[in-house]
Amino acid sequence: MLKYIIKRLILLIPILFLVTLISFSLLFIIPGDPAETILTGPGGGADPKAVEEFRIKMGLDKPIYIQYFTWLESILHGNLGYSYQSKRPVIDTILSRFHATLKLAIVSMIISLMISIPLGIISAIKQYSAIDNVSMAGALLGVSMPNFWQGLLLILLFAVTLGWLPVAGYGDHGDLEHMILPAITLGTSSAAITTRLMRSTMLETINQDYIQAARAKGLSERVVIGKHALKNALIPVVTMIGLNFAYLLDGSVVVETIFAWPGIGLLMVESIYLRDYPMIQGCILFVAIIFIFVNLMVDILYTYLDPRIRYETKE
Amino acid sequence: MKQTIKVLGIIAVIVGIMLLASMPTASAKLYGDANVDDVIDEADMTYVEQIIADNEEENELADANQDGEINLLDVAYIEGIILGDKPFPGGTITVAMIFFKETVDPAVGWTGWYVRKAGIYETLFANDENMVLTPELATGYEQVSDTEWEISLREDVTFHDGTPFDADAVVYSINRVLDESNSRHTEYDFIESVEKKDDYTVTITTEEAYAPTIASLTDPVTSIVSPNVEDLGTEAAGTGPFKLVEFEPAVSMSVERNDNYWGGPVKLESATFEYITDPQTRAYMLEAGEVDMARGIPQAEADIIDGKSDLDVISKETLRTYFMYVNTKKAPLNNVKVRQAINYAINREQIVETALEGVGGVAAKSVFPSVMPWSANDDLEGYLHNQTEALSLLADCGITDTDGDGVLDYDGSPFELTIKTYTTRPECKPTAEVIVEQLKEIGIKARVETRDIPTLREEVAEGNYDLALYAWGVAPIGDPDYFLSRHFESTGNEAGLTGYSNTEVDDWLDAARTTFDDKARWDYYKQVQEQILEDSPEIFVFYLNELVGLNTCVKGYVIYPNEITFLTKDMYNTA
Repeated sequence: MLKYIIKRLILLIPILFLVTLISFSLLFIIPGDPAETILTGPGGGADPKAVEEFRIKMGLDKPIYIQYFTWLESILHGNLGYSYQSKRPVIDTILSRFHATLKLAIVSMIISLMISIPLGIISAIKQYSAIDNVSMAGALLGVSMPNFWQGLLLILLFAVTLGWLPVAGYGDHGDLEHMILPAITLGTSSAAITTRLMRSTMLETINQDYIQAARAKGLSERVVIGKHALKNALIPVVTMIGLNFAYLLDGSVVVETIFAWPGIGLLMVESIYLRDYPMIQGCILFVAIIFIFVNLMVDILYTYLDPRIRYETKE
Repeated sequence: MKQTIKVLGIIAVIVGIMLLASMPTASAKLYGDANVDDVIDEADMTYVEQIIADNEEENELADANQDGEINLLDVAYIEGIILGDKPFPGGTITVAMIFFKETVDPAVGWTGWYVRKAGIYETLFANDENMVLTPELATGYEQVSDTEWEISLREDVTFHDGTPFDADAVVYSINRVLDESNSRHTEYDFIESVEKKDDYTVTITTEEAYAPTIASLTDPVTSIVSPNVEDLGTEAAGTGPFKLVEFEPAVSMSVERNDNYWGGPVKLESATFEYITDPQTRAYMLEAGEVDMARGIPQAEADIIDGKSDLDVISKETLRTYFMYVNTKKAPLNNVKVRQAINYAINREQIVETALEGVGGVAAKSVFPSVMPWSANDDLEGYLHNQTEALSLLADCGITDTDGDGVLDYDGSPFELTIKTYTTRPECKPTAEVIVEQLKEIGIKARVETRDIPTLREEVAEGNYDLALYAWGVAPIGDPDYFLSRHFESTGNEAGLTGYSNTEVDDWLDAARTTFDDKARWDYYKQVQEQILEDSPEIFVFYLNELVGLNTCVKGYVIYPNEITFLTKDMYNTA
């Protein structure tokens, strides 16, 4: 097991290298001059002399490969650089914004799981029953409804009309009260997909022979479903949940904008608008690491759920 | 079934939390406002005396010192409030703002704008709400020679950290801007040196005669900071009516009253700014009562907010002009008559009524909004909507409908124009769309394309555009030179983008920059405004209105057209 994890971690190095290479080249393909963009004031326009100076100071006048290697060297020393815009260390901003995203992602995930897993199982067991139909219709609605619309509806109902919850904002460092609406918005849309997947894999599993065998042994339905069927049905669902969680950790720009949640998705988009290269690079690298890490966790979880995978890796 | 029960249970818990969260919070009141007219003045003292004499009914607000009794002590207390000896019961306000910064250092980029809005920092001079240049931390200036300005300073000011304000602090603060490492130092490279003459006088020497010198000291990048702060990126010590309490980048900033403010008693006790990027969200927060004020509310929401009894919308013309760059290097736009024809084809009133919902702006006559003292709008004719005139000008240039298909033709093919713009400012795209329809009405095949700002900028710089709709603050420091020299002087960066060059305009601008008599400068700038209107290298569309939604309990708020000053000592909350 340890060997497997180490192997995966070593694989990380070429992947991350590739990520930096691709993201760096992408920045030079998108049009727009970072110096001019950063130096444009609220009035409009930048001072041409200042733009020229900035380019030289930040090394933007050098060939791309030199810029790339300079940057690579600095990240190898653990330094993600300084934001063009605020002059503050990139890593500080990323960590504080990621903290907000992480909190929201965890609560959204809990909401999503609380809805999707039970609902998926019930729908499968009671196929074509009223509860199945309702939950499938709900799932369809959840998938189809755009997040920004759902978010605005929730704000209108729970915050503006009923006044139960705050409209938006980060409150006291992201307190629960401010987290509920954005978390529901994010959680329900990811729950919609997971419910459908849970239902279909569960249906597939309960029609398997070994489930019939378990029933024939006289095991209670609770044990049959909860122990034998669920564990097998969960494998594709876990992959999906892992992917979903990774997406949540990248931050949803739409939800973060509507609810004024200072997360990493919003940071990334703002940085792209400003062509704040060190910040964009830092965000991409950070998000890539998170994505790979979550995937690794999912793979490790597999080995627990499905011993066959564990045996394979032992060989 | 058990799971269903569990889920229901969890939902019940969530709803419970929501209910707990919605408990009302205590609110401050304007104690001392005995006659309940939302102002504390001598009339309130008389009113309390009347209550004591049993001529008026008792009320809660008359108990100014809040000791549970209404007596002569309250009259004295109210007098104390008026004289500034007792704290004004101004309460607190929460404001939904648009932009935020990651730092609070006014000398970094345009952070100065944002900390000034919070009332923390001040400059030597500032523009008041009518854009009149007035001394702030200075008491005045004297021009010793063409290149020497002697600025006298206030002697009664201390910074929030207790450091006295003097010439040393001014030299220190301005030198932070002039330092080569400051990304904005090139804007100030006309300054040769800043020197202390005595404790309360500094001398600024410029490289050459430069009339906007004093005006340039109103830009908040030149905010005067205490020389004794270790990290100005995270801490602040200014001279303004409010002191920084807490600052969380991208989230919020809170400030509290500066009890020793040199400008007199500060009415508000504290204020919190929340940074909310989405305009609709800002409007909802105001409607839900979560904030007392919201800047930049959506135009479509203005009526709804104004219609609520406890909310108000105030608007005022700003110095932000929306206009189109015209690519004068490209045929047939290189012909001045074609540019004038486009000017005539645009119905500005209709744009204001439709794209701006009637509230978002004022039809533009020329470059400067009328709120700006340098605007010559009263003497200018501008371009009134006139399709016949537009068509005849185009016909003069050989642009007519030769094949009878309803579309004007130029050089054998349909006359096509693309308006490029960006979406970050919500007014841009709808405005461009209305202009397109107006151009179509006279037979020009027009369309809109949107880009993000850096991309658009690059395309305009490459000359890859016909018309580009932009918004500029045309006079952030109040002086006309800033915008006109960049946009209409041959050497100006923006003039390079439109390809505009007029030697007369160059001469006038140069003369105006080196003349110190305001009347003479005014005449030069008037000539420039007339000429650029005729030459039309840029087509002016409208002046943006700032729309601020606020709770009717918020008093004393005034919109500053330069979008720089926001929180002042005169604001308070009666709720």
